[in-house]
Amino acid sequence: MSCMSDKTGKLITDDGLRLDGRRADEIRPMKIEIGVLSRADGSCYLEWGRNKVLVGVFGPREAHPRRMQRADAAVIRYKYNMASFSVEDRARPGPSRRSIEISKVSREAFEPVIMAELFPKTAIDIFVEVLQADAGTRTAAINASSIALADAGIPMKGLITSCAFGKVDGQIVLDLNKEEDNYGEADFPVAMTQDGEITLLQMDGHLTSEEIKKGLELVRNGCKEILEIQQAVLRKKFQTPIEEPAKETSMEEISDIENKVLEAEVSMKYASEATVVEEIREEIKVFEEDAPKKIAEEGTVAEEIHECEKLEHKIEEAKPLVEEETLEEVIKAEIGEKADLKASLEIDPKITEFEELELIKEEACSSDAKKMKFESGGFAEEEIPLYEKSITEKVISEKTSESKNELEFKDKSRKKVIAEEAVKVEEKSEKENSKGPWLVVKDPSESGSKGDKDE
Amino acid sequence: MSEVIATLKKDYIYNLMVKEKRQDGRGFKDFRDIKLETNIITKAEGSAKITLGDTQILVGVKLQIGTPFPDSPDEGVIITNLELNPIASPDFEPGPPKEEAIEMARVVDRGIRESGAIDLKKLCVAVGESVWTVFIDVHVLNDEGNIIDASCFAAIAALMTTIVPNKQQGIGENVSLAMREIPLGVTLAKIGSKLMVDPSLDEEAICETKLTIVSSSDGSVAGMQKMGSVPLTEAEVLEAIDLAREKATELRELYLEGLLRKG
Repeated sequence: MSCMSDKTGKLITDDGLRLDGRRADEIRPMKIEIGVLSRADGSCYLEWGRNKVLVGVFGPREAHPRRMQRADAAVIRYKYNMASFSVEDRARPGPSRRSIEISKVSREAFEPVIMAELFPKTAIDIFVEVLQADAGTRTAAINASSIALADAGIPMKGLITSCAFGKVDGQIVLDLNKEEDNYGEADFPVAMTQDGEITLLQMDGHLTSEEIKKGLELVRNGCKEILEIQQAVLRKKFQTPIEEPAKETSMEEISDIENKVLEAEVSMKYASEATVVEEIREEIKVFEEDAPKKIAEEGTVAEEIHECEKLEHKIEEAKPLVEEETLEEVIKAEIGEKADLKASLEIDPKITEFEELELIKEEACSSDAKKMKFESGGFAEEEIPLYEKSITEKVISEKTSESKNELEFKDKSRKKVIAEEAVKVEEKSEKENSKGPWLVVKDPSESGSKGDKDE
Repeated sequence: MSEVIATLKKDYIYNLMVKEKRQDGRGFKDFRDIKLETNIITKAEGSAKITLGDTQILVGVKLQIGTPFPDSPDEGVIITNLELNPIASPDFEPGPPKEEAIEMARVVDRGIRESGAIDLKKLCVAVGESVWTVFIDVHVLNDEGNIIDASCFAAIAALMTTIVPNKQQGIGENVSLAMREIPLGVTLAKIGSKLMVDPSLDEEAICETKLTIVSSSDGSVAGMQKMGSVPLTEAEVLEAIDLAREKATELRELYLEGLLRKG
């Protein structure tokens, strides 16, 4: 750069825009890719405007030659290299004085943040290849190196962000492009930590201290913007759902599978009842259609409640009869020589008979209750499907269990129902059989039919 | 420069700093004594030797006819080289310049180039074909710290006394090198939370970071370079700039403006 060279025209238009359309405080578009080199421990490809920079990080690894090793920390080596084709006129391959200087100041820019003291006697190598240069390659390389170091998992106190400001047509502007660098009046590259502490500072050109003050402010904002890009890129690569989200999904999956298994079991178990379920579904459909009508003529609800009550009465009347019968049997058994097991075997069918009766009662009852529910629930039509579901469930359970509290049964698991049944049956038999050697029957496994009935 | 320094010495300097004192009794804004001699090498077109405290540096300027760069066909060329000779310190080894030497050479070069100290247009012999190439060779003879400021100082002094040997080339009378500006580098070392000018060898060894600021006579800054691995805050940078400009103005008036009048 040479401040004395003649300008080839205006670098900033009258409306304050630069040749590439940027405003004074805008940086060039930046594109970052992480992990582009498989053999490097960390790598980054960065495009910034027309700059193309590739960085590979190796280490911590054994430092060679050994005399380079430090007993108390890792040595950090930063090699900035320009590809010979990266610039207009072919660059001589190999290190130049410029690249040696840039390597030094860039290394020093990273030394405050890399926790080298964790890896004594090792080397951390940062290799920078500038593939295409368009002003600001050292800042681009530092931004890329920051990402590559993070990619390599090198412990750092924070990211380093770098951006230059300069003076073009007497104006302080951020992030110079090639034309601005060539014909501008100053170039001022800066690198800083996340806290805004300056770790690299170079300058050439012609600036007053007021201009430097203004430029440093621009650079601070530019670096903040770049830091956000860097952080976003790193998050995108490394913020995988390894923590809470993973557990949550797996738990959900497990419960999902459990539900499915349960559903499948239920449907298999009650395959024979499927027709009944279908019938009821049909009924529900009819209800869904009729619900609004029936709501209109509220009388029907009352009628059905009446019917239900009547049925219940009848069952209540029937109950003592059944109970008497079983009691007679019990007495017989008690008097009889073959007491315990035989009695229990004889009692069993009776109980089942009784239970069947109860079932009939409940069916009537619940279907009526269903209707009732529909009447009340039908006020809001969208609630109907919900009811449909719960009723279907109910019907399935009604069909298969003797529980008297079926109407209350909603979310109880099948197992629980079985257990309840078992207990109830036991209670019944206890009541019905009073005390005696028949107590043996209490054990569902021995009673045979009770405990295994549902299985 | 990379002298191993005892922890005791480190503590000593640090504790002095806390008391606003320095090892050699200077204040934070004081340079060591400067002795400048010019034209001491008659074979060179220009030369200067500076003694800054015990640091000794000799700069020789040679001019040769060369070809201009394609992007500036009517301008002379400046080439600056700095060598840390093994004679200057037990820490220096023979061989090609290390990064430290290259960095310092480039900072010196940048100050001269960017401030427009030399009127390069006046070094053009034939546009696009031949121009004078100014070789600035900095020889460090004794390193007692702050080579960079001494180099900047000696280089500009040598240039100010340089004669362009036109006669030798048969292109007219010999003339003084056309100078337009006197850039001066001032280096500040950060020790603890303090900035001090002209660090000695020990101070350099324990300081966390150095910041060199090259400023022109109008107070503008022509070049800056941060060296070392400890960050600086924006406030420290701005403070350093003000301090460096102040010191540069002082030195320029004291030692160099007289040279210009003489030339």
